[in-house]
Amino acid sequence: MAQENSECRAGGAVPVIELRHVDKHFGALHVLKDVSLSVHKGEVVVIIGPSGSGKSTLCRTMNRLETIDAGEIIIDGVPMPQEGKKLAGLRSQIGMVFQSFNLFAHKTILDNVTIAPIDVLHKPKKEAQEEAMRLLRRVGVDSQAAKVPAQLSGGQQQRVAIARALAMHPKAILFDEPTSALDPEMIGEVLDIMTELARDGMTMVIVTHEMNFARRVADRVIFMDNGSILEESTPEAFFTRPQTQRARDFLQSLSHRED
Amino acid sequence: MTISQLLEQFGDKYVLALLTTWKLTACAFVIAFAVGVLITVMRICPIRPLQLAGDFYVQLFRNIPGAALLILLVYALPYLRLVWSYYACVLIATSLIPAAFCSEYLMAGMNTIAAGQIEAARSLGMRESSVFFKIVFPQALRYVVPAMISELVIVLKDTTFAYVVNYADLMQNARVLISNYDALLSVYLVTAVIYILINYALNRISVAVARRQDAGARRAAGRSR
Repeated sequence: MAQENSECRAGGAVPVIELRHVDKHFGALHVLKDVSLSVHKGEVVVIIGPSGSGKSTLCRTMNRLETIDAGEIIIDGVPMPQEGKKLAGLRSQIGMVFQSFNLFAHKTILDNVTIAPIDVLHKPKKEAQEEAMRLLRRVGVDSQAAKVPAQLSGGQQQRVAIARALAMHPKAILFDEPTSALDPEMIGEVLDIMTELARDGMTMVIVTHEMNFARRVADRVIFMDNGSILEESTPEAFFTRPQTQRARDFLQSLSHRED
Repeated sequence: MTISQLLEQFGDKYVLALLTTWKLTACAFVIAFAVGVLITVMRICPIRPLQLAGDFYVQLFRNIPGAALLILLVYALPYLRLVWSYYACVLIATSLIPAAFCSEYLMAGMNTIAAGQIEAARSLGMRESSVFFKIVFPQALRYVVPAMISELVIVLKDTTFAYVVNYADLMQNARVLISNYDALLSVYLVTAVIYILINYALNRISVAVARRQDAGARRAAGRSR
């Protein structure tokens, strides 16, 4: 069912992100076990699973913030090397939004958004700033442009991080638990922007614990446990008819927690 | 000779000597900083022999006494047919040692930069050199400002070694005055007070800067939760 689904979306086109038989160990721990996955243009893939299941690691391997022991990562048809100039070039095509925002603490909000377009894409400063202001307006923090990250709330910082990723015109954006470090009242504002991005056709890979959001936004849900992909299906199918016992247990434990 | 007589008669000499001390301190500090940055870049660059050379430099110069280094430069190097001016020797001795400490502060400063910021920069496609010079280094620099001001105090105090080789700084000025006039106590007293006042002021600045940075960091921590 999952196979059918992704192939019908793909229409034979080259996937934006493709993982082939990826293996990774942290010392003795086998964190990714023969993981294969394709993400196609315009697709929103949500990765869920218990903590320690390898979902964040999987997300981070997609732009080689984690090295892999075996397998291949292919970005828009180009295999990703372990390091070097070519790696930087491929990374710039895949945006990343982190749990802890990771804004550059010594730069203003505006400079946080312009630094990579100027440094990597060699955009003229003025042009980069105009676009940055446009993006900051889009995520609703343009009034904070002259401040430094420490002066902003967590929700505002994460929205800036999204604008920073967008400024590179990435082919896809990876979200590694983007709302896990936020106060409950700030989660909504970040999810709203992500929903908008998804609606605008951005290719997204999202690791999250926000199940309602996953159900609403995902084209495909991937359930991971113990370093393996156990299920891959539409959100509707996954949340109503999970195929594996572990997925059923996981969803059960969540519904208890939310009560 | 009373202190007032001393100041009246030789005040200009003190001013001149003080300026010499300041000049020496400023030059030594600039060199120390530049060398410290260079050594730090060597220590974190991916080329192993450069890393080792940088580490060796730091271990060597943070463990050698300043006076010993100066005496070595002035009295031992000539045997190797290396004869430098006193000024050069004093400058080298008072800058190479603080450079080692400067590098240590910078390394510590870089460790405080959250790994997440480095990952974010990499994820944006920035090259390693850009990550270092645009993200890591500027923040490490801010972090080390208070420590570097304290280092300035040490450099200034170390310039007193200059008297060993008769370089006309404050300390040498005191020695000349003493050997010509019978005023040991008041001459040294004035000299000591000058050093103490300057260094006290520098330390106050260092503490004020550190306190301001702490307040900033606390504000940042409070907000991001």
